[in-house]
Order: sequence, then structure tokens, then C-alpha cells
Amino acid sequence: MLSRTAENLFWSARYIERADSLARLLEVGYRISLIPNTEKGYTNEWESILETSGIKNEYLKKYKTISKEKIIFYLLFDPENSSSVKNCIKTARENIRMVRTAVTLEVWNAVNSSYHELDKNLKETKNILKELPEIIEWIKKQVNLIRGTILNTQLINDGYDFLILGTYFERADFTARIINVKYFILLPSINYVGSDIDNFQWSLMLRSISSFRAFKWAYGGQEITYTKIIDFLILNMTCPRSLIFSIEKINHHLGRLSKFYKQTSTSNKKIGLMYKKIKNLNANKITEIGLHEFLKSFIEEINYVYKKFEQKYFFGVET
Amino acid sequence: MYNEVYKNSKVRKFYNQIYDWAKSLPENVIVKKKNEAENLFKKIGITFSVYNNFDSTERLIPFDMFPRIISSIEWKKIKKGVIQRALAINAFLNDIYNSGEIIKAKLIPENLIYKNPAYEIKMIGFKVPKRIYSPIIGSDIVRINENIFKVLEDNCRTPSGVSYMIENREIMMRMFPELFEKLKIETVENYPSYLLDALKSLAPKKCNKEPKVVILTPGSLNSAYYEHSFLADLMGVELVQGTDLFVDESITYMKTTRGPEKVDIIYRRIDDKFLDPITFDSSSLIGIPGLFDSYKSGNVNICSAPGSGIADDKAIYSYIPEIIKFYLGEEPILDNVKTWRCCEEDAKKYVLNNLNKLVVKEVHGSGGYGLLIGSKSSKKEIEIFRKKILLNPANYIAQPILELSSVPIFDKKKLSPRHVDLRPFCLVGAKKTKLVDGGLTRVALNQGSLVVNSSQGGGVKDTWVLNE
Repeated sequence: MLSRTAENLFWSARYIERADSLARLLEVGYRISLIPNTEKGYTNEWESILETSGIKNEYLKKYKTISKEKIIFYLLFDPENSSSVKNCIKTARENIRMVRTAVTLEVWNAVNSSYHELDKNLKETKNILKELPEIIEWIKKQVNLIRGTILNTQLINDGYDFLILGTYFERADFTARIINVKYFILLPSINYVGSDIDNFQWSLMLRSISSFRAFKWAYGGQEITYTKIIDFLILNMTCPRSLIFSIEKINHHLGRLSKFYKQTSTSNKKIGLMYKKIKNLNANKITEIGLHEFLKSFIEEINYVYKKFEQKYFFGVET
Repeated sequence: MYNEVYKNSKVRKFYNQIYDWAKSLPENVIVKKKNEAENLFKKIGITFSVYNNFDSTERLIPFDMFPRIISSIEWKKIKKGVIQRALAINAFLNDIYNSGEIIKAKLIPENLIYKNPAYEIKMIGFKVPKRIYSPIIGSDIVRINENIFKVLEDNCRTPSGVSYMIENREIMMRMFPELFEKLKIETVENYPSYLLDALKSLAPKKCNKEPKVVILTPGSLNSAYYEHSFLADLMGVELVQGTDLFVDESITYMKTTRGPEKVDIIYRRIDDKFLDPITFDSSSLIGIPGLFDSYKSGNVNICSAPGSGIADDKAIYSYIPEIIKFYLGEEPILDNVKTWRCCEEDAKKYVLNNLNKLVVKEVHGSGGYGLLIGSKSSKKEIEIFRKKILLNPANYIAQPILELSSVPIFDKKKLSPRHVDLRPFCLVGAKKTKLVDGGLTRVALNQGSLVVNSSQGGGVKDTWVLNE
């Protein structure tokens, strides 16, 4: 396969996953806005949404102040924000269009019709907050449709691996960031334990990765505690948005590529080590290391894996 | 005006069933089907880009559902005539880049070849694989009356539109399967495999395994990008851009996830001057440095060959009947349109005196740009062209204003005639010259208009060659 084809497949899937993540973040934002604005902590949620999506600085440069309407606009439509949902879908479609022959007609149709329906479904309106649930639903539906066609119709060959890798590199990065931005609420603190604020904050975090109910199921409806949340978001193999889940997938698909091409890369070795390490961890150990420190080194390591992977398959030279 | 549907104001027998069918469609069904067709095209992604200063947007090429029908007898003649031209054009290209017999025989003025901007000096003396310069030729054919088809021009570089020929058929079969049961219609779906065969037969000297074919596109912003990816898909070959290829020690490779892979045949859909910034236009960002050297050392074939474009120069066009006689010793099967070359004194005089009755074309123009249709132009426009011709006569040719034949379209809800032309695609391989039984019918959607180019308000129709 052409290196450029692999790159386009990877990025199209990555942008689709990003659109999905943004929709989930906005869902959290929407929830907050329905809650009476008495606690200062709640309005700050919008700021952490910006931080999680990694575009706070760009946003502030343009708008100066934190306003939920502006943030929603910025995350959904703003043409100047290359990671707005609209731009994510456009970029994903452009990437697929460039390698139209590497995906099935079904995948192309799904991506292409999402693109053609963008203007109809992602409309700027005066009362954007009111429209938000419907817009979020539409985005999630498109993403699920596209992913469904990938899973159901693509040949399970190297192109498939690049698509799946795009999804999980993005997801690992996003989940790590979402925990990192809010890591302080997951610290054991006498003041907070068991308080309503804690419960609310934790449930928001779970909701932002669409895992609120999944969490309840996974832990048999037990009380939410910070160790359980750490376990769920980082170490639980049954949670499709946990870090270990993404790492396992990346490890698996990099391994497949290496077998397929009968070549190995530093990225294979490194991701193997990451997977082994995270498998042997538990929530208490992470608290011991320090959650923030753990996440910091996790993000560095996964970025390194990505760099090596990119050099090997997209640039053709590993340095 | 000749309407292809009628003969002596009766519907011709080939059109009987289609005409009845079209007449029987209720208005609401026509509207519904039109929308359906448009949605299908959009879904498949057949769009072409229109450029402006700010953005490139995608537009659909308008599709009309009333098919254009060609009988098997008519088609046989067109097919033979198109093949004859394609063979003659390739023989001509081989001659003018080598011994130049046709010039020595004084059949074509030396200046018209050697001083032609489309003549590529760097190709002189080079032995092109199998002596085929232009393996894909799209000749534009117009119909004057019931019996006469004429060739308006031959596109020898990278003719486009073949994806519409195939997709128009797909859409018609999907929307009106019942019509295909009633009539025996030749298929066009073999085109991609014929094209691949033709290209593979043109492997370069230094290729001793199964040749690796790729299609070279300028990129996804190009107006014909859909077609490039469509063909790559149906041929099962890689669609590459300049940045995917590189040349090392005169061998051309593409960058793949397995490492470099040698490329043998490039079906290029970019212009000569962008091919290689070292040899041609140094500002080209989409070219491959060293490609021409790789080509000349027999490591890779470029189809069509650089310099092929001279054969579709409009001044050379006027010599095609002589070219056919000279190389093939045959009489032309399809006529040319009468052409006055303004570089000749007598012709120029005639043209200047009859501007209101003629079409004047720039020798190197294309896409329906840079032309004057005398009968449809204002006095001022005519005077501007008069000055242009006087200033640079060799840059212009003139032809009579042809009454192109017409075929009905579904205009709003009823049938209404519009002018059409026909572009079949001829494939010239090392041993076989082939074309599928069909072509692209372009239709001027504006009433009375004779310009069928998509950039100028033209649309397309499915073209049915009957197997009787």
C-alpha cells in the first residue's frame, strides 16, 4: 500500500474519533448548563472542556473570555478551529476521498453522506444550547455509522489496521487528557470524600466518555470511589474507553502490521512494553506513583510510539 | 436542425420504445427520478471542481435521463473510423519525432511541426515503447444529418469523461432496469480492463516481470480527480501523486508501507510541463524530479508520451485526412469538418470576410474557451476577434457553424431537443486497438446552444449502442 494511502486512512479514522470525543464533551457541557449556576466549580467545567480538547490557547486568543455559547460555536463550527467537529468531518472525508480506492463503497458512502449532510445538521442558530442535544445525537450517529461500515465491510488487511490504529491512538490520547485535566478530583482528599461535589464531578467525567452506565454495570452498582474510577478509566479491559483497552488494540494492530509486512519497528517493541506495564498495575499503585505523573509519562510514551510508527510506515525512514 | 429521434417526422425505429417510454412517464415520476439520479451521483461522489479565487467547490455534472441511441450499423462505421484515426495519429507522432517523412514529402509545412509550441524537442529520436505515443484517444464526433458523422477534434493527451460513460450507464440500469430488458444494449463496463491491457502491453524496455501500472493524478483538487480514482479502483492499480514517486539511479519507485516498489508504466493525468521539474517547468510542485531521465533510459513508460499533444493541435487536425492517407494508404472513414487555416493567406481572407458565419478557434484552446461563434456574437466581439486574427493569424483556424444533431432531454417535465456530440474512447495497445461499444454523449443544456463542455453549461447522457 502507498505510504500516503496508509497516512490518509489513519488520519480519516483519527478525525472521526475526534469528532466523536468532541460530541461527548459537549454533552457534558450541556448537562452542566442545565444545573443551577450557583457553584463556581460548575462554570469552570467549560474551561476544562476547552482544556481537554487541547485548544484552550487558540480559543482564548480569538475570544478572550470563557462563554459557553462561544465555546460551543468554537468546538462545533468555527472554520478557524481545525479540530471543530465540522472540520473533523470535512478533513476525514477529504482524507478518504484521496484514497477513495482503499475503502469500500459503503465506507465512502457513509463518510460522504455525513459530509453532504453537514450543513443541514450542523446549523448555527441563535439558541444553540437548545439545539445541542439533537446535534450531538447526529454526530454520534454518523460516527457509529461510519465505524460500523468499516467493521462490517472493509477487508481485514493492512488498510484496516491503519484505520483502527487511527481510532485508538486518538482515543488513548483523549482519555489520557480528560483524566489529566481533572486529575485533582481523583486525588484522595479528606475534604471531598463522599461529598456531593465529588460525586457530581466523578459522574461528569464518566459521562464525558459515555461510560456512566457502563461503570455502574462494571462495578455492580457499588458506590463511586476514586480508586474505582481510576481502575475503570485506566485499567479495566472491559471499558472500551480505558487506556489499557486502547493500548491493547494498538499493540495488537501494530503486531499485525509487523507480521503482514514481515518487518518490525521500534514502535512494536515500545508498545509491547507499555502494554505489559499497564497490565501489571493497579489503582493503588497508580495513586502511589501519583496520577498526574503516571499520565504525564503515559502521554509521552504513547507519543513516542506514534512517532516511531509514523516514521516507519508514512515516511519510510526510521531514525 | 437534425433531430436524431425522427426520420421524415416519424420516430425512427431504434427510438420507438424509448420515445414511448419517455412520453408515458408522468410528470411527478420524472421529477422524482431526476432527484433520485442526482442523489445517486452525489452519493457515489461524481463531482467536478469549479475553481474560483477563494475556494474550490464541488458541483455535479447535470445528467439527463433520455438516452442517446446509436444503431449497430452507424456504430460500426464510427468504430472503424475512430480506430483508423488513432492508428494514423500514432504513426504520425512516431514519424515527426524520428525521420519526419511526412515533412519531407511536403504534405505538412515544416514550420507547423517544428515551430509548434506543442512539439517537444526533448523527444526527438527517442524510441517510445512499441511506438505508441498516445494510447488513449477521445475523438469528438458530431452528427450533421442521418448519414454523416464528422470528427470535430481528437484528444490525444489525457481525454477525460470516460468515468461518466460508465457511471451514466450504472445509474440508468439502476433506475430503469425495464428498458434494458426491452432493448439489446452493448455494455461499456469492460473499458477499465481494456485500458489496463493496453497499458500493460506498453511496458518499457527494462521491465522483465509483470509490469506495475499506476495512475498519476495532480491531486484531489483537480477537476477530474473523481475519474482518476474511479479508474484506479476499477483497474486495481495505485492512484499516485507526484510526492508518492521518486527516482533513484534512473529507476522510478513509489513509496509504500513495505518500502520502495518499482513502477513500470505511468498513466499520467497531468500535463507534460508538470511531469518533471528538472526537465520541464522547474516550478512544478506536482512533478517527479528525474522522471524524464528514467523514461529515456527505458525504466519506465509515460502514457501518453510527452509531446503527444501536437497531434490534437487544431491546425494539425486539418491535415488528418492527409495523415491517414500517408501512413495507412486508406481513405478516411470519418470526415473532418471543413477547416480554414488562418496562416494561409487565401483562407485568412475568406475567414475575415465571413466571420459572422464561422466558428473561429484558437489553435491551442480547449474546454470551449477562446472561441468565437460568429452567428451568436455581437459586432463588438467579432471585431475583437478580427483584430486578434490579424495580429497572429497562425493562432487561429475557422470552421463552418455546424448544426449539431439534437436529442430530446427532459426539460422541466416535458421533452425538448438539445444539441449533442459524442466522444468514444479508443485504446491503442501494442498489438490490439480497441474501443468499447459506447461513448460519452455531451449535451448543451441551454436551448439553442452549441457548446457542450461541462465548464460551459453542458450535461451528459447515457449512450446506447444497439446490438441488433
